[in-house]
Parts: sequence; structure tokens; C-alpha cells
Amino acid sequence: MTKAVPRLAVKGLRHLYAERPVIEDLTFTLRAGRAIALVGPNGAGKTTVLKCIVGSAEPAAGEILLDGAPIDERAETVRRDVASLLDDLDFFPDLTVAEHLDLLARAHGNPTPEDLVDTVLDSVGMLGAADQLPGSLSSGQRRRLALATALVRPRKLLVLDEPEARLDAAGVAWLAEMLVAEKKAGTSILFASHDAALVDAVADETVTLTPLS
Amino acid sequence: MSTADGPVVFDPADFGAIPSSRVLRRWMRKVRRGKADRTFWQQFEDIYLIVFAVAMLGATGGNVLLNLNDKSAACTSGSCSWLLDTVPYILVPLLVSTMLRVLLSIGPVSASRATAFWLLATPVDRAALLRPSYRLVVTAAAVVGAVAAAVGWALFGAAWSTVGEAALLTTVLLLFTTCATVWAQQTAKRSRWALWIADGLLVAAAIPALLLAVRQEPQADAATRTMTIAVYSYGDKPETSALDARLLVLSAVALIVAVVLVVLAGRTLGRLSRQTVVAGGDLLAGLAGAAITLDVSLLADVVAGRHWRLQGRLKSRRGRGSNAVAMIHREFLRVLRWPRRLVIAFALLVVPYAVAGTGYDVLVPIAAGLAGFGAVRPLMDGLRSVCRSIGLVRALGMELRELRVIMSVVPGGFAVVWAALAEPALGSPAVAFAVAAGMLTGAVRQASARPPSYSGPLVASPMGAIPPGLFSTPMRGFDLLLICLAPVLLGLSDMWVVIVPSIIGMILFAISPKQN
Repeated sequence: MTKAVPRLAVKGLRHLYAERPVIEDLTFTLRAGRAIALVGPNGAGKTTVLKCIVGSAEPAAGEILLDGAPIDERAETVRRDVASLLDDLDFFPDLTVAEHLDLLARAHGNPTPEDLVDTVLDSVGMLGAADQLPGSLSSGQRRRLALATALVRPRKLLVLDEPEARLDAAGVAWLAEMLVAEKKAGTSILFASHDAALVDAVADETVTLTPLS
Repeated sequence: MSTADGPVVFDPADFGAIPSSRVLRRWMRKVRRGKADRTFWQQFEDIYLIVFAVAMLGATGGNVLLNLNDKSAACTSGSCSWLLDTVPYILVPLLVSTMLRVLLSIGPVSASRATAFWLLATPVDRAALLRPSYRLVVTAAAVVGAVAAAVGWALFGAAWSTVGEAALLTTVLLLFTTCATVWAQQTAKRSRWALWIADGLLVAAAIPALLLAVRQEPQADAATRTMTIAVYSYGDKPETSALDARLLVLSAVALIVAVVLVVLAGRTLGRLSRQTVVAGGDLLAGLAGAAITLDVSLLADVVAGRHWRLQGRLKSRRGRGSNAVAMIHREFLRVLRWPRRLVIAFALLVVPYAVAGTGYDVLVPIAAGLAGFGAVRPLMDGLRSVCRSIGLVRALGMELRELRVIMSVVPGGFAVVWAALAEPALGSPAVAFAVAAGMLTGAVRQASARPPSYSGPLVASPMGAIPPGLFSTPMRGFDLLLICLAPVLLGLSDMWVVIVPSIIGMILFAISPKQN
């Protein structure tokens, strides 16, 4: 029997920030339908690991494999399969909340995304804000919209950086439910978090990072 | 697909074929048109205003250039012909070097964060999404090449056929440069190599400029006059016509090669990472914000901010002394932190010597003042930081007026050294003093100026409401430079050459800068 290829494999990852190592020899694997939480204090390199995985930062050494193949964000399959939510979200000032999601769904090949967008907006509790422009959203609403972006597109791997940030208690509870359901549907989740309750509810494993002196 | 009560989960197979970028753009255009709040007539008025302004500026600039070309072409001294022969060796490497640096700092292919998140992260063809940005860069490079070469050659009196050829060849060269930067953008290593080449070209441009600077001005004797006239009338000779024809063929071939390269480079856009295109997009967004307020200092802030963000980490150096001494020491260390700026600042010393070498003595002080301004202004980031942050002033526990004086000590010392080194070209210590005072007071005024405020009363204009004094913003600083140099330019005695800049300096440092 052949051994199943992990959805994500990180082997010997090393990253330098201005010649100073911030990640040294990090190795872990993430299987389909499982979740790994990256935990650790500020400056430990959690976000940097996520950035290396989504291609926003270049590792100095090591290997990152998605379904057994080296990950390259320029590849069409990677862009299709990896949904990420880091601090790089920005908006078109003249498109409404619904239009943003509509655009994303269309770009992923859904020619009639109207129902899907409404469903997702309802799911993230933003149906009432569907016609608002991004400039008029509160920071919590922006966060919910950001989370919604992962739900209107196909995904095999979710990469989330502190997804609980700026969400109220009910929002964090909803987030935990949503992520658990994502796992059940076969999506793999890698997330960095400072929220112990969210980590307990969602993560199957934790990877603890410590700042390198 | 699940219901609204639960999460919405998909399989990639649920989705259809990935749309083309054209289809998405068409969709966005349709959505945006639905929200348009300007009539066709209003848009036409805007376009008319732009076209009229460009036509007016073009006509005025063209006329000035025509006159200057006539005057320069009439020059019969050996200096003029030598200058015309030397200028290409300065202008071309300088243009390519500048273009390399500018293009690599913005990408050259760039995209906004919104585009990167909502479109470039999707499976839609990345090359097609980035193509409009690429086309814009190629067009801009071609226009800059043509205009810069035309102005450069025409100013020094070249024949118009030569100006045309130079413009065409320079355009082609900058198109090659653009293609090379697109290729370099694909990896960090290539970008580093391209930057080293840019530095090398800068050195290559400095060599003929230095030769010009150290050259003794020849006397315009009969022999040189004959030689120069021959140079300017060579277009009529049959052997030069053949040379022209060869150049024309060469230009045409080079243009075809450039077009092919542009097409080939356009096909590699899919290899660009999101990270590299967003970095340039961020820079452009910052620069656009600064340009809207016509705030030169803000433009410099954006560039400096990016430089330090890319540096990320530096070795900490402890200060010395206390109060004003500590701050002056910190400023000194800070200036040393960006050695390239100091190198460029000292390299600008070649300007007054080069202008003196051409024999245009009357232009030496103003050229020295402008070059000195360009040399000393980048050393004032500290002053700039305190002047734009009330919180920083409060934290430092001094009045802004005092801080302005303290923060100007190191740049002031540099200005004195710079002007002293330029003194042989300037001709007298008094003129050197005026230049030092002009470059310092001008740079201090520009660095400590308030940005235009849109929160106060606004003035109606064809471009909408604008703050009063918006259009004078770019001139801030240069006005003091000009006042300090006025006694020199008017040929007044050494006493006035020293007194006027001294008074300007005393007034500037006695008053407190305004803050928003």
C-alpha cells in the first residue's frame, strides 16, 4: 500500500530577515482534513512561516511541498488550491462588498456566483453590508469580509494569520465552527493564533515557535 | 454546497473554466459604469483641459528649445563643439542608469494590493492581468527616452536630423532597458545585478563629466571656429549623408529588435511573483499620494521609507553626550547610515566644475546652488521627521524652532564643506558662502514645510477644490536659494553677496516652523 502524500510538507525551512535567522530548520507535515496551529510569542516567526508558504517571502533554505510538488504561487494549481488570509488584503475602493466576492468567485471560474455570494455573506453575517463600499466598513467587518473571501472559492489548503483578530466573542465562536466544518469537508488548515480557545477547538496539532536569539 | 447555517464548502470541480482577464476586466468596467457619477460632458471637459495643458506646455517648451538650439548652434567656439561631442557620453549612461534604478524600484511591472489579492491570487492568466501595467511602462520608457534625448541634444545645438536620430536610438535603448528590467524582476539575484550595472553606468557617466570639469576653456580662435562650423554643417556633406543613411538603417533595425524584445518580455509576465509586483504598487501609490499634493518632501519620504523598510535591520550605535549635543551626534550617525547619499552628494560637485568648463561662467553659481541643494536636502530626514510629527517634538521636549536649528547643524556643516570644495569653480569665497547659505536655507525650508492642508479653506479651481498655495509648494526652498544667490546673479559687491544670505539664514532659524 502506498503512503498518502501529505497536503503540505515543510522540510528544514530557514528564513533570514536582514541576514538574521528568524526561522531555523522548521519541519512539519499537514494532512488533508487536519489543522495545525502555529503558536508562540510575537516575533517568533509565525507570520513569516505563513508568508513563505504562500510565496510572499522567500525562504533561505528548505522545501515546501503542496501535494508532493514544490509550492510556487505563480503556478495556476497553487493559486486555485491555496486560500490565504494574511495582512496583505486591500480593496478596490469603488467595488461593494458583494462585488468583491462576486469578482473573486468569477475569477475562480464560477460564472453565476450571485447565490453563492449571498450565501457566504449570510454565513459571515454581512448580508446587510452587501452594498457597502470597503471604506465604510468597520475593522471587524473587514475581517469578516476577508474570511468570506476564502469561502467563495475552491480550496484545499487554508492559510490564516491570526484569523480571530478584531472579531468579537461571537465572531470567534463562529470562526471556530466554520474551521472545524472546513476540516470535515477535507480542507487542510494552517493558522497562526494567539487565541488558546480557538487553537483548542480547531487544531489537531500545534507547532510552537520561539524567537531565535 | 451547504446552506447558510453551515460552512460553504466546495470541490474545485464545482467551478467552471477559469475566465480570461479580458472577461474580468469587462465585468469590472460594467460594474463601475453602473456607479458613474460624472456625465459625458464633464469627462470631456477634463480631457479637454488635459489636452489643452499638454499642448500649451508642449508648444511653450518646444519654442524655448527651438530658440536655445538656434543660439547653441550659432556658437562657434571650440568649447561648444567639444561639449556636443561629450554630452552623449554623459547623457546616455546617465539616462540608462536612472531608468534602470527607477524601473527596478517600481518593478517595473506593478500592481496594487487590491489587484494582487483579488485577481493575481486567482488562477486567471497572470501575464494577461499584468499586461496593461507592462504596456504603460514600455510607453513611458519610450516617451522619456525620446523627450530626454531630444531635449539633451537640441540644447547643445545639434542639427535637427541628429536630434531625431538620437531620440530614436535612445528610445530603442530605453526599450531594451525596460525589457532587461522585466527579466531582472523575476529573481532577486538578477535585480541585484541590474542595480550594480546601474551603478557602473553612473560611474561611466561621471568620467566624461569629470573630463569636462577639469578641461581648460580654449580660446575661440579662427581655427576652432572653422572646425566648429564644419561640425554644425556636416549634414550637408555627401559623405555625412551616407553616414546618416547608415544610422537610419541601424535605428530601424534596432527598433524592430526592440519591438520583438518587448513582445517576448511581455510573454514572461506570468513568471513574476505577487510579492515583486505589489512592492512597486505600494511605492507608486505612495508617490501618487505625494504627487497629488505637489509635495516634493513627501515624495522623498516615500522613497526613504521604502529604503529603510527594505533594510529591515541595522547595527545599533549608542549615542554620546546629552541634549543638543546628543541630537547632533545622532544626526551625524544617521547621515553616515546611507553612504550612497553622501557619495552622490559629493559627486554632484562635478556640476559647478563642468559648467565652468563649458565657459558659461554666469551659470556656475546657480548650477552650484541647485546641485548643492540636491546634495544637502537628502541629509535632512531627521528634520523632516520632527517637522511632520507633533508627537515626536513633544517627546523630545524642545521647541520645534530649537529642533530645527539642532537638526540643521550636520547638514549645515556638510553645506560649508561642499561649497568650500566648489569654491575654485565659483571664483570667490563670498560666492561660495552665498551658495552654502542658499543650499542650506533652501533645503531647511523645504524639509520643514507643512504639507498642503485640505482641512482648511479651499479655493475653487477647474480641477476641483484645492488648498491655497498648492501650486507654490514645489517651489518652496528654491525661493530662498534664489534670494541668497540674487546678489551674485545681479553682480553686486562681495559685501551684499555675504550680507543678504546671512540675513535670510538668521530670519529662517529665528522663526518657528508652522505645523498642522
